[in-house]
Amino acid sequence: MKQNRNMMAGSILMTAILAFSLYGFGQIWASSKNQANPLYAEECGSCHMAYPAQLLPPQSWQNMMLQLEDHFGENAELDAESKQAIESYLVEASQQGNGSSRKLFRNLGKQVPERITTLPYFIHEHDEIPSRLITSNDKVGSLSQCNACHQRAEQGDFDEDDVSIPGFGRWDD
Amino acid sequence: MKTGQIVIALWLCLILITAVSANPNPLKIIEVYQQQGASRTDANRGKQLWETDTEGRRCTSCHGDSPSNNGSHIKTKKLIKPMALSVNPERYQDDKKIEKWFLRNCKWTFGRECNVQEKADILTWLSSQ
Repeated sequence: MKQNRNMMAGSILMTAILAFSLYGFGQIWASSKNQANPLYAEECGSCHMAYPAQLLPPQSWQNMMLQLEDHFGENAELDAESKQAIESYLVEASQQGNGSSRKLFRNLGKQVPERITTLPYFIHEHDEIPSRLITSNDKVGSLSQCNACHQRAEQGDFDEDDVSIPGFGRWDD
Repeated sequence: MKTGQIVIALWLCLILITAVSANPNPLKIIEVYQQQGASRTDANRGKQLWETDTEGRRCTSCHGDSPSNNGSHIKTKKLIKPMALSVNPERYQDDKKIEKWFLRNCKWTFGRECNVQEKADILTWLSSQ
């Protein structure tokens, strides 16, 4: 009787440990998959959303990192060490882009886009949205504010089902 | 000497030491700027610089009218937490970070780097807020 109880307690404990470790690994996997590297999030994410690296081809990131002093009109200078670390992260993470980012780079040819918003696929996906919902919408302002409408943009998730335009709501095209 | 007198004497010594060693600058980096050539700091000069307009750009363009309140990036609209030391002391814990932002933001706002005097004055003003 006592032995039975001990065995039961033991198996409950083992199951709990197993479940806990699986949960832990799951968390690590999920965060390594799409979450930006902490230095990138800190240095770039203090001024704008830390755009997921998969949204531009590696060459685009390399070009961008060469002109941080004039980063679309802003000064975004970094010390050499941080610059190198961020560039390596972006290039590597961009190369590891999944199927959907290859779709994103469709029709690019040899072009090296400067901005995510100039990708032909990006333009195609957003061209039906009237400007009153984007540029004339105070809570959005421009198509660069991915996370204004894509609730999970920072995790690299742009599923249309998660779109909610401020002051308008769900968008289906 | 009685024990009571000794205790009082020790207390007086302690108060004296604290008073003498008290740092007149709320931020250590201000002293660094002074070692690099900045002279006496002036909060009012810092405030003036903070509000100076250079071809339509000023610190308040992004940081907002009051350093005690949130600001927002002029272009991306991203929230910028308050600059006042009393409201947001976490801002001032890393000297390297302070230098990084001075470099970027002085160049954006004034089209040039700020000198040590200007940086010391601005920090003196922000830390009095």
